[in-house]
Amino acid sequence: MDDEIRRLLSQAPRRSVMTRRDLLRRMGIGAGALSVTALAAACGIRGEAERNRTEENGAGQGPDYTTDEITGTLNFANWPLYIDRAKGKRPTIDDFEKSSDIQVNYQEVIEDNESFFGTIREPLANDQQIEWDLIVVTDWLIAKMARLGYLEQLDHSRLPNFEQNAGEVYKDPTYDPGNAHSIPWQSGITGIGYDPKRTGREITSFEDLFDPAFAGKVGMFTEMRDTMNLTLLGLGVDPQEATVEDAERAQQKLLEQREAGIVREYYGNEYADALIRGDVWITMAWSGDIFQLQFDDPDLQFVVPDEGGILWVDNMAIPQNAAHPIDALEFMNFVYDPEVAAQITAWVNYICPVPAAQDILAQAKDNYTQQVAQSPLVFPTPEMEARLHSYKTLEEDEEEAWNDLFNQVIQG
Amino acid sequence: MSATAAPQKPRARDRAPAPARTKRRGRWLGLYSKAVIAYLFLPIAVMILFGFNDPKGRFNYTFQGFTLRYYSPSELLAFPELNEAMRHSLIVMGISALAATTFGTLIALALTRYRFRGRGAFNLFLFLPMATPEITMGSALLALFVTLNVSRGLTTIVIAHIMFSISYVVVTVKARTATLDRHLEDAAADLGADPWTTFRTVTFPLIRPAILAGALLAAVLSFDDYVITLFNKGAVDTVPTWIAGATRIGVPVQVNVLGTLVFMVGVVYVVINLIRTRGEGTPAIAPR
Amino acid sequence: MRRGRLVPFLLSLPGAIWLLVFFALPMATMLSVSFQEGSLEEGYRFTGTATNYTDAVTKYDFILWRSLLFGLIVTALTLVISYPLAYWIAFRGGRRKNLYLLLILLPFFTPYLIRTLSWKFILADSGFLLGTLKDVGILDEGFRVLATPIAVISGMTYNFLPFMALPLYVALERIDGRFLEAAQDLYSSRRETFLRVTLPLSLPGVFAGSLLTFIPAVGDYIDPEYLGGVNTTMIGQVIQREFLTSNDYPEGAAISFLLMAGILVGVFLYARALGTEEMTG
Repeated sequence: MDDEIRRLLSQAPRRSVMTRRDLLRRMGIGAGALSVTALAAACGIRGEAERNRTEENGAGQGPDYTTDEITGTLNFANWPLYIDRAKGKRPTIDDFEKSSDIQVNYQEVIEDNESFFGTIREPLANDQQIEWDLIVVTDWLIAKMARLGYLEQLDHSRLPNFEQNAGEVYKDPTYDPGNAHSIPWQSGITGIGYDPKRTGREITSFEDLFDPAFAGKVGMFTEMRDTMNLTLLGLGVDPQEATVEDAERAQQKLLEQREAGIVREYYGNEYADALIRGDVWITMAWSGDIFQLQFDDPDLQFVVPDEGGILWVDNMAIPQNAAHPIDALEFMNFVYDPEVAAQITAWVNYICPVPAAQDILAQAKDNYTQQVAQSPLVFPTPEMEARLHSYKTLEEDEEEAWNDLFNQVIQG
Repeated sequence: MSATAAPQKPRARDRAPAPARTKRRGRWLGLYSKAVIAYLFLPIAVMILFGFNDPKGRFNYTFQGFTLRYYSPSELLAFPELNEAMRHSLIVMGISALAATTFGTLIALALTRYRFRGRGAFNLFLFLPMATPEITMGSALLALFVTLNVSRGLTTIVIAHIMFSISYVVVTVKARTATLDRHLEDAAADLGADPWTTFRTVTFPLIRPAILAGALLAAVLSFDDYVITLFNKGAVDTVPTWIAGATRIGVPVQVNVLGTLVFMVGVVYVVINLIRTRGEGTPAIAPR
Repeated sequence: MRRGRLVPFLLSLPGAIWLLVFFALPMATMLSVSFQEGSLEEGYRFTGTATNYTDAVTKYDFILWRSLLFGLIVTALTLVISYPLAYWIAFRGGRRKNLYLLLILLPFFTPYLIRTLSWKFILADSGFLLGTLKDVGILDEGFRVLATPIAVISGMTYNFLPFMALPLYVALERIDGRFLEAAQDLYSSRRETFLRVTLPLSLPGVFAGSLLTFIPAVGDYIDPEYLGGVNTTMIGQVIQREFLTSNDYPEGAAISFLLMAGILVGVFLYARALGTEEMTG
């Protein structure tokens, strides 16, 4: 039955608007084949253990794609403003289309890891093909989706540029050993952002976020992994070695911070406007945001705490049963050409996974690109890198425990 | 007596000047209302202001300089998917408001003018969509679409928007139809009008303000919707979802410009008509 | 009130079918989910367990109460603010009534996030409003509006104003001005006229507006998320996290139904208090 569904779905029109005729036709054809699945799914949510996965994605098995050919189409879902643009066009996409004869359907439909996962989880759990061949999600979600079997394995023989040009720190990461399911798109650092005019002094340590002098002016993140991992580092614990007891200690510390009235708010993306307006003086921050804010206020600083900061990576991956996986691999390889990587980072201004891009950018004529090339927030220095860690990759029960602990902190 | 009958020629009594005390009272009410309207427009003024901002970085949080450049065609077209999202938002808003208002008005009429079995239960049932958290409705609806193998896109967004707007329209319109005076319609019937003509010439004009109010509410609900749309939109973006994703990198000035332009269309329409109807503000028979 | 057999069903049919298919059916599935247990990896199984509900009550009862309280405050505030406005439009609007209606709705045809950002600009700790007041000395240096319950309630009041104003207007608009004029002649007092005539006649609008405000306000997620601080968590945020972060769909579903039940009880009591027949027609 899975094959039949897959076949039906691969014939589905690629338009983003579905006509009434399509809907009726789809429902007519699919009704009989799906009735059992429909009943089962309607009465519950299928889990991964139930799915018959013996022939797919077992350890040591190679990739098992729906097709081994280049089809000429690519459906690429990304975050808004996460690829270079010039005058309403996207140069990298255009370059790729020209050089490869593959049409790219690029949609900026990812707002947030969790909500995006929430929308694609349902079809993936039912072994359906989703509309995307290529998606960009953050490392912890890669680990989670790989664990659940929602990602295709990558055929690295088609990714020579990655092997050649990617920075060492991006190869074989803890969240995706051997880059089996993903390769980086852009990355960033979680550290501390602050306004020295308001804090009155330089900030170097994680403990500064707990300074009572800044009571009511400190920002922390609602993102569980950022906050918990940074706190663990602050307690001197290597996130990769952290136990549940360590997580509990981290929770205690965060609770103290809240009880003492030091935290103003637990932020998502909105800390940036709070920081620049002075509503917070010191806050957990992402490197790319501070880089942007520094154009508006050059005094703002970003620092990787002495105890350590987090290097998070947004990765390209191919969802299970994708219709055009080889085209996706072609694109993934394309963006690891140093020239292309430089072009992307020159606009996006997050951390580039291709170190060679820095030299290319340094040769640019305009001031803006020069700043990008020289900024440690886009090309971190070795001593910054030495202090950077990855999130701890959580198993499902650990994830649940950590979520429970953290929810008690932020849900007052 | 119809409240919307054409204003009669002012009688001599009404032309006499009102006592100063009540004139002042009337003015306070007008002043207060204008103050509330100003309060409603305050954040919009900020939005318009920041459409003229010239930020050096990608964020549009601090005012750094006045410029018109984001109103230039090249800048306005710099984010085609934002414009596309706006187009989608407006289309969805139009269709869903129309459908929801129609369905909701019909239900309101049925509920308030007829006694039928299950009326109470149906009434209660209508409160449920308003009371359900958006994420619950959004996920549940997505699960349904997935089960039926319906691909998500503009159609599913419209379906969802109609779904959650109906109840709001019903409650709004019911506030009027519940107290509709049946004698007028009976009179029309006595005069020989068939049900459709009665509805068209008597009922509908009476409840038209309520229908308009319901339609406006449904439109606002649709335009602003984020969570339910997020789950059921597939590859299509609406303005709230695009902006939410753009927040991570920095919401571009074009968003303010686009918002201002859409807003201005409405304002221009209102202002023009206010000028046209100048002097028709206070009806001669208003309570003092 | 006619005894109808076919007509009311025909009238309700399109809307009812729509809601049945796209609301009732999915929510019935959700109800079943709320009695399930499991996880993403193992799958969720229907066990008929009520632990999701009991857990919700023990863990989140204070957040539920807070959400109900905020909902009540917001409803009261929107009522007080919009009533005079609706009155003015209904009775002083004349031919321009619809224009004024459109006018008060226009601000809400702008993207929600932009409006919220604008409020954050206006209410910034050292912004042009608070900053000026602090410089002059009226306000304490440490005073803030954002990231407090006040910000959440203010934001919700602003965003829900049309939901109260519109039904109020609808009810007030039907009142014939000459009616009031006659009443004034009888009572010869504006206050009496208002209390004895206008207010009672506008009660259906008050009831409708309260419903349209209170019901969604209690479950609101977006205002406390963007305007709230440390002790302002509302139940909508909890449900959001259960669904998206914890992927605990049974728990999220259970909390949702608890919330809905709480709201319905509140609405029922309110309807009783007002003595309206709204609940049954």
